[in-house]
Amino acid sequence: MADIMNNYDLIIIGGGPAGLTAAIYGGRARLKTLVINKGTLGGQVNTTREIVNYPGFIQTGGSGLMKMFKTHAETFGVEFLKDEVNDVDFSQEEKMIRVKKGKEFSAKAVLIACGCEPRLLNIPGEKRLRGSGVAYCATCDAEFFEGEDVVVVGSGDQAIEEGMYITKFARKVTVIVLHDEGIMDCNKVSAEKAFQNDKMEFIWNSTIEEVLGKDNVEGVKIKNLKTGESSELICQGVFFFVGMVPSTHFLKESGVEMDQRGYIPVNDLMETNVEGVYAVGDNRIKYLRQVVSAAGDGATAAVAAERYIEELNSFNINVLECDKKVLLLFLDALNNKSLEFSTLLEEVNRELNERYKVVKVDMATKKNQAKKYWIENVPSVLVLDKGQEIKRLKCSLNRENLKSQLI
Amino acid sequence: MSLQPLNSNSFEKIIYDDGESCLVVFSRKDCHVCKEVVPILEELAPKYDGKFGFYYVDVEEQKPLFQRFSLKGVPQILFFKDGEYQGKLAGAVDDEKVSDKITEVLES
Ligand SMILES: Cc1cc2nc3c(=O)[nH]c(=O)nc-3n(C[C@H](O)[C@H](O)[C@H](O)COP(=O)(O)OP(=O)(O)OC[C@H]3O[C@@H](n4cnc5c(N)ncnc54)[C@H](O)[C@@H]3O)c2cc1C
Repeated sequence: MADIMNNYDLIIIGGGPAGLTAAIYGGRARLKTLVINKGTLGGQVNTTREIVNYPGFIQTGGSGLMKMFKTHAETFGVEFLKDEVNDVDFSQEEKMIRVKKGKEFSAKAVLIACGCEPRLLNIPGEKRLRGSGVAYCATCDAEFFEGEDVVVVGSGDQAIEEGMYITKFARKVTVIVLHDEGIMDCNKVSAEKAFQNDKMEFIWNSTIEEVLGKDNVEGVKIKNLKTGESSELICQGVFFFVGMVPSTHFLKESGVEMDQRGYIPVNDLMETNVEGVYAVGDNRIKYLRQVVSAAGDGATAAVAAERYIEELNSFNINVLECDKKVLLLFLDALNNKSLEFSTLLEEVNRELNERYKVVKVDMATKKNQAKKYWIENVPSVLVLDKGQEIKRLKCSLNRENLKSQLI
Repeated sequence: MSLQPLNSNSFEKIIYDDGESCLVVFSRKDCHVCKEVVPILEELAPKYDGKFGFYYVDVEEQKPLFQRFSLKGVPQILFFKDGEYQGKLAGAVDDEKVSDKITEVLES
């Protein structure tokens, strides 16, 4: 069992722009909020050299922007922990989270904001020669290839932009592109710049099968996907930019639904299939994976989580901890019959000297409670004793009939 | 605890003259993976105080050193014992990997 110090209203797994924005909203709503993040706060944004499309910042360094996100969250009293979440238990209302260094935490609501990490091709030589010519970060490593030949695998924004940066140092950069000649996955502006760059060359319809070399990279084996032919190209470096995969592997046994690639489906409120668990930012199924949309997700989910927690708290106080038996009435404010019934129920209860406490749940806003008790129609009434269901009423508008069910 | 930085001279002395059992991380300031790996080493270092040395080389300031080991990227952690090179770890590593490698070097 987690001790009391480790109980939170809201735990956010991941401290990229999605998680940090959620933290700002959570903290501001006075939720006791914890962000657990492995590595450097700010996530993938730290790996970008500059951001030119975050509103209000014409041009900014990624990590500077993330420091501002973090400082902002801190002003609202959010706590931070540097660790990796490697196990969760979402089977109970109180969600459990375990981190690598062994500590356990619990929360009423959990936000999954783990983002993505670079995909590995898992081809021979890729792992063995990492740091010996195989690289994933141009800012970090481009300089080591001064005057040498470098291969870039991929044609997305990152591949092409990083490839151009590498030309500042390398003699030649050869880009291996999956598609037909002239077609790349990156934006048009970058593509045009790349085509005009004398140091950039392109090999179309191809991928690489193996990184060659004993102690250092000496070349790559290229496979043409159209002809099926393999060829070798001599180079001293290979940079992989073959897309990203969501960092959601630790959720495999959690019951949270994911697609085959590990992305999490959510609804408009960022709710996953597990009540009280939300997914935001790059690790959910979505159209645009950017800082601004990650931040938007974080805000939505934090507000949804706040409402959910409020619902949970008031329910606990009104229903589970009530000395009297409770008549839990599900109604819909727009449905006349349910309003009429509500009035009648209260009258009958008064005639019975307030033997029960009547608690109303509006189905339109409190869907979670309705789901929990398998309620589909309004009006419906459950009789609860300390939260335990003892019976369901037949909701008749006949006073005597109703009364007889309550005696 | 921040790691002791090395230059060509101190590198020569500690690794080859003294033959200390130690690791040297080659790193640069604007590399985001380095920013994750270096703190892991800083946290680990006190545990090995007196048994295993932890050193730091900034590749921008100490070009000859990384050229000498023909390194092709940062961060890289090189391990030494009795003046001999014992292997390296490249890229993002966690504390377990580093501890395992230290144990391996100490027991070899
Ligand atoms: C090279 C590059 C350039 C880009 N350029 C731009 C740009 O110019 N403009 C733009 O808007 N977007 C850009 N993006 C995209 C943008 O960075 C992402 O969309 C955004 O960072 C997603 O935010 P996030 O919070 O969902 O996830 P991330 O930023 O990926 O953050 C997730 C965080 O969760 C942590 N984490 C993962 N698993 C765990 C775990 N189990 N326990 C604890 N913590 C965990 C990670 O370490 C990380 O810190 C770029 C991305 C890259 C890679």
